[in-house]
Amino acid sequence: MKLEVHLFAGLFCNNEELDCFGETDFEMEVPENTTLNELVKLLNLELPYELIYMINGKRCDKSYCLKDKDRVGIFPPIGGG
Amino acid sequence: MKIVRVNMTNLSVKTEEVPQKWANLGGRALTSAIVAQEVDPVCHPLGKKNKLVFAPGILSGTAAPNSGRMSVGAKSPLTGGIKESNSGGSAAQKLARLGIKALIIEGLPEQGKYYSLHLSKDEAKLQEETDLVGKGNYEVIDTLSRRHGKNIGVITIGQAGEYKMLAANISIKDYHGYIRSAGRGGLGAVMASKGLKYITLDDTGTPPVPIAEPEKFRQAAKTFAQALKEHPVTGQGLPTYGTNVLVNIINEAGGLPTQNFRRGRFAGANKISGETMYEYITTRKGKPTHNCHAGCVISCSQVYNDESGNFVTAGFEYETIWGFGAVCCVDDLDIIAQADRICDDIGIDTIETAVAIATAMEGGVLPFGDGQKMLAILEEIKKGTYLGRIIGCGASVTGKVFGVSRVAVVKDQAIPAYDPRAVKGQGVTYATTPMGADHTAGYAVTSNILNVGGHVGPLAKEGNIELSKNLQIATAGIDSAGLCVFVAFSMLDKPEAMDAVNQLLEAISGKEFTYDHMLGLGRFVLKTEIDFNRAAGLTEVSDRLPEFFEEEIPPHNTTWDFTPDELQQVFADLKEEVKSPPAEVWMAPEDEPRTRPTVELH
Ligand code: SF4
Repeated sequence: MKLEVHLFAGLFCNNEELDCFGETDFEMEVPENTTLNELVKLLNLELPYELIYMINGKRCDKSYCLKDKDRVGIFPPIGGG
Repeated sequence: MKIVRVNMTNLSVKTEEVPQKWANLGGRALTSAIVAQEVDPVCHPLGKKNKLVFAPGILSGTAAPNSGRMSVGAKSPLTGGIKESNSGGSAAQKLARLGIKALIIEGLPEQGKYYSLHLSKDEAKLQEETDLVGKGNYEVIDTLSRRHGKNIGVITIGQAGEYKMLAANISIKDYHGYIRSAGRGGLGAVMASKGLKYITLDDTGTPPVPIAEPEKFRQAAKTFAQALKEHPVTGQGLPTYGTNVLVNIINEAGGLPTQNFRRGRFAGANKISGETMYEYITTRKGKPTHNCHAGCVISCSQVYNDESGNFVTAGFEYETIWGFGAVCCVDDLDIIAQADRICDDIGIDTIETAVAIATAMEGGVLPFGDGQKMLAILEEIKKGTYLGRIIGCGASVTGKVFGVSRVAVVKDQAIPAYDPRAVKGQGVTYATTPMGADHTAGYAVTSNILNVGGHVGPLAKEGNIELSKNLQIATAGIDSAGLCVFVAFSMLDKPEAMDAVNQLLEAISGKEFTYDHMLGLGRFVLKTEIDFNRAAGLTEVSDRLPEFFEEEIPPHNTTWDFTPDELQQVFADLKEEVKSPPAEVWMAPEDEPRTRPTVELH
């Protein structure tokens, strides 16, 4: 299935084996039933702190099972105001 | 510590002892307490009965991290209610070191005359000013820095203030010479009505701010600084990208108000985002990380240069970029930076002005997305043309003049950069804060979107009344301490940061201060402000969002669905409560004399 992925605030695809290596906005194919957690591992995004995940504009946790055409947004902890 | 009272009618400056009941207050608690006690709630905001009050926070002037915030209070000409607007820059620290707990400007001078006030260790001098009248803030600050040396503190108004525009702000020099603003509610117009063009603050030779338990204070300051540095938001996100890092996440969450609050996503978001701005700043040799006062360990500010590497603006904030960007459909960061520079120079609130321009776009005065015409309108504000004066009086006035019903205001103050239908906790804050639509009054974006301090869903009503209420109470306490509101990111997540703040307040006063006292202080502030507003005629009916928020907003197609009764729950218990808060040790009995006898300074 196909995902639309957007990585923000310094995050980028950090897996050299993927075509999207180094990119922040890309589409990618993943197997059915891939979880968000697996996607984070695949993109090699693991950091010492919790990231913020949004699927189609809604906050989500890592156990979420991805669906075809999901728009995935991943952010490090950020704030402002 | 003392109160300095400047009477513009007879041009006198007097010092007074601080009444016991105000002895432990500072910042917002003090400005609101003074305004509530001394200003007739039904007075004309630009008339002789209004007063303008400056107060450094309780911790300002000390080595406590991020404690250099100054509150400015008055009856607001924009909202008609009580106003507290706070700012960084060096003024709070200098006022505190001069031993000034509050500076009260009252009365009215002879029509058309302007004055300057100079405060130093040995003198308080009020003088007629002619040279700098009509000048913008950058020129005022440059001239005064040459005249008094670069360490001089400056509080000033630009042309927008002189025209008494309802969106005029008060500008404060930071210690690099750039401009910070007490932005909201038209306080620049109040300062102008008092005939005060600027205040200079010279703290040379002043003793340190008194601290009852210095060793305990030092330890707590260290722990607090550490906690701020360790939290990923205050230690990494804010210093790197500034507040503008929010463009992408609020856009992704569908809450970035676009084209005058029609949509929650902006196609040009990435072009105006914090990430793009960081790239511009670094390639153009600006400064991505910069602080607005000495002792700020977060440093969310930045210096933004143009393509040729020339300085354009500093302190380039998310709300400004959203305002001159998404809500007006302008996707050019350099145009937005120009807009910010003009607003800083003429001394006008960027949020109010941007929403007023979006309202003018709605009314057909200029097309959405026309950045050059937007800049031209800002120049009209500077010149004081009729169109400039309309826009400079904010979104509500602009909407009335151009027959627009889609006007995003609460209590006539423009709604900032988070759509209340997609970030509902924020909507509750806009509707119910005594300030008019103010995002900082109870920043529910934390739990709604940012994963800080727990999670409350942004799209449904559940939990958002309670969230906004708790944040509004805690924020009123933080605003009184003189802490930058961004410390809350760390305080909400790290118990040691919260403890450290309580320890700092305990050590400075020598009196017990717990989290309950902080909440007591916050409740006292809100109760004082709500009571003033009720007496000024801002009743429950004013705690509403405009009716167009009943429309759905894409992408989530949510509406504003809180009923008036639900919104009244936010402060229902406060309205019943007697004024004396649980923090008795911090408050004195109500039977203090209204004003102490005054003594001449000279
Ligand atoms: S974090 Fe930003 S706004 Fe707060 S005190 Fe520091 S520079 Fe000023």
